[in-house]
Amino acid sequence: MRLKPLLTASALALAAAPAVAQDKTINIAGFGASSGVVGIFGQNSGAAMAAAVEKINAEGGVTLADGSKAMLVTQYYDDRCNAEEGISVLRRIASTDAVVAVGPTCSNVAEPLFGILQASVDDSGDTGLQFPVFTDVAIKGGLAGISEWVFRNTPSEATMYDELFAWIRETHPDAKTIYGGVEEDFAHSRFTWYSVMKTAAEKHGFEIVGEAQWLLNDTNFSNQARGMRRAEPDVVAISAHPFTTCGMLREMARQKIEPKVLVGLTSSSSLETLTGCANEAEGIIIPTSFAPVNDAAKAAAEAVGAKGGALDLHSASAWENIMILRDVIEASGIEGTPESLEEDRRKIRDGLAALTEVNGLLGTNKRMPDGEAVKPYVFVNAASGNWAVLHNPGS
Amino acid sequence: MDYFFFIDLIQSTVDGLLFGTTYALIGIGFTLIFGVMRKLNLAYGAAALAGTYIGLVMFLTFDAHPAIVFLASAIGSGLIGLVVYLCCFRFTPENYPMASLLASVGMLLFIDEVVIHASHGLPYPYPSVFRDAIIEIGDVWVRGDLLFVFFMCVVAMGILFWLLYRTPLGLATRAVSQQPRAAQLCGIDVTRVNMMTFGIAGVLGGIAGAMTAAAVGVLSPVIAMGLTVKGLIVVVIGGLGFIPGAIIAGLLVGAAENIFLLLRGVTERDIYVMLLLFIFLTLRPGGLFGNAQSRD
Repeated sequence: MRLKPLLTASALALAAAPAVAQDKTINIAGFGASSGVVGIFGQNSGAAMAAAVEKINAEGGVTLADGSKAMLVTQYYDDRCNAEEGISVLRRIASTDAVVAVGPTCSNVAEPLFGILQASVDDSGDTGLQFPVFTDVAIKGGLAGISEWVFRNTPSEATMYDELFAWIRETHPDAKTIYGGVEEDFAHSRFTWYSVMKTAAEKHGFEIVGEAQWLLNDTNFSNQARGMRRAEPDVVAISAHPFTTCGMLREMARQKIEPKVLVGLTSSSSLETLTGCANEAEGIIIPTSFAPVNDAAKAAAEAVGAKGGALDLHSASAWENIMILRDVIEASGIEGTPESLEEDRRKIRDGLAALTEVNGLLGTNKRMPDGEAVKPYVFVNAASGNWAVLHNPGS
Repeated sequence: MDYFFFIDLIQSTVDGLLFGTTYALIGIGFTLIFGVMRKLNLAYGAAALAGTYIGLVMFLTFDAHPAIVFLASAIGSGLIGLVVYLCCFRFTPENYPMASLLASVGMLLFIDEVVIHASHGLPYPYPSVFRDAIIEIGDVWVRGDLLFVFFMCVVAMGILFWLLYRTPLGLATRAVSQQPRAAQLCGIDVTRVNMMTFGIAGVLGGIAGAMTAAAVGVLSPVIAMGLTVKGLIVVVIGGLGFIPGAIIAGLLVGAAENIFLLLRGVTERDIYVMLLLFIFLTLRPGGLFGNAQSRD
């Protein structure tokens, strides 16, 4: 073969191929509870992040400021749903080349963790950590306001439960009373009953006829169910995670407590509940910001399943976070060099702050000025061992 | 205080006594090992949980009958108990008692993590018997499944007593617990007795774990720490090394827990249980059946 055509062809091929910065990667760290009692949440988030990163890399990676391409890399760190460990993990992440962290899982970690970040950007008197955190799971309301370095892609439980109780009022006009069951020692479940469900129920005309409390590790619910049975409520709202939700539902079945409507906590709209007590959970209604109701959601669910996880309202946020960060990285002109690390982190923070709406799996997610999100949602109920969409408020 | 308060009080006491038999079994396991070896096995609760998961595998994989599931849980815990003995007690130096205690703590954490890792922390349904059966005595409801749990635990205790007081193994065990050197001089294989004690205690733990899971209807790794803590409380209140004490204390703790829940709510319940423990530690550190210890 002649040398000149070969050299010409090679030069043309090299010019046509996208410039891949083989030595450039953009590190997006993840952290949350991937061990312990709520470890399944972190495991699912980790799987969702890995699946999303794989999809983006398969499509060519992200474009940097100089037009070159870089691959995303991710690693998931375990904070064991413990505040001290969460803070330690975030400091460790900040010492790596990660440009942003997605997490944490637990609201009891998020609250103190966000407190170590710089509260207001450009406040030279504030020596807090300057590192952007994009939360996927920790859902307790209002946490993003703690620091301007925090952004959350969690649904607004206040909005969802308000709409849910309005819908219950409309579809069950004969339901007048409500009894609450709450996991007292978990920040999310506690906040959701006392500040969200109870408020929404009273707003829509339900009379609170009683409350039962238990702890995350409790195994005996006889006393609590007995009080519930005597009150004969029309609606029972259980603000608890799957283990104690299942325990309470079994006790309710044993004591033949059959309310007209059963409402659950967002975190219980997961595989865990169906694995633990599908029969007893039959008919429980939960608002959720994820259900595989369209092609994108189904494809994402499949991809995460291939990574050993399950896609639910929490891990779906982790998937969306990666997709949002891809767009922010490309729009913000990230350089991706060791020298530009601090600047890149600031650009990502500013990029996230500038967003007003983004594409989510169920539709458009609105980004609020305080760093929170307003996401589309549906009501699902447990039906024959699966979660089925019962009502779509957006339709 | 109205009529329903007294009904609730009776109900709480009945439920607590019935469920307290599981605490009694766990306490017996702890006290059995201490009685023979003068050592605490803190991995006991975790081993009981791990054995219960073995039974769960039988249920999920083969849809086994509850009797098979419970048997597999008990035998599984017994085998794990033997492993714990070999790893944490058999070869640790006699003149360093902390070694075996710390080794058992390490084993507790290890078993706990293995269980969480294998199960992904997910709760799984565990078979229970007579789950929907209720015996109504006026306004007091006695749960059929708790009665079954109570019955199984009583049978287990009965078999244990038969073993200890009617068999050569039991004679050897009592001899070792009273005078290990003299027992050895009489030709009793102390190592074999210790090993059998761990196995038997493990089986008891497996039964307790299975009955706890059957009473709840769901098995989850969260149960391990609760079993361990309650077992230790029972052992202290009952008296280390005294099996009848562990039985009485188990029932007492079960009833007290439910009564405190009724009177003070879930957020204060554990405070009062711990207060009960503190009172015993301070005023009667030997436990219900131990000797009154003189204070400093």
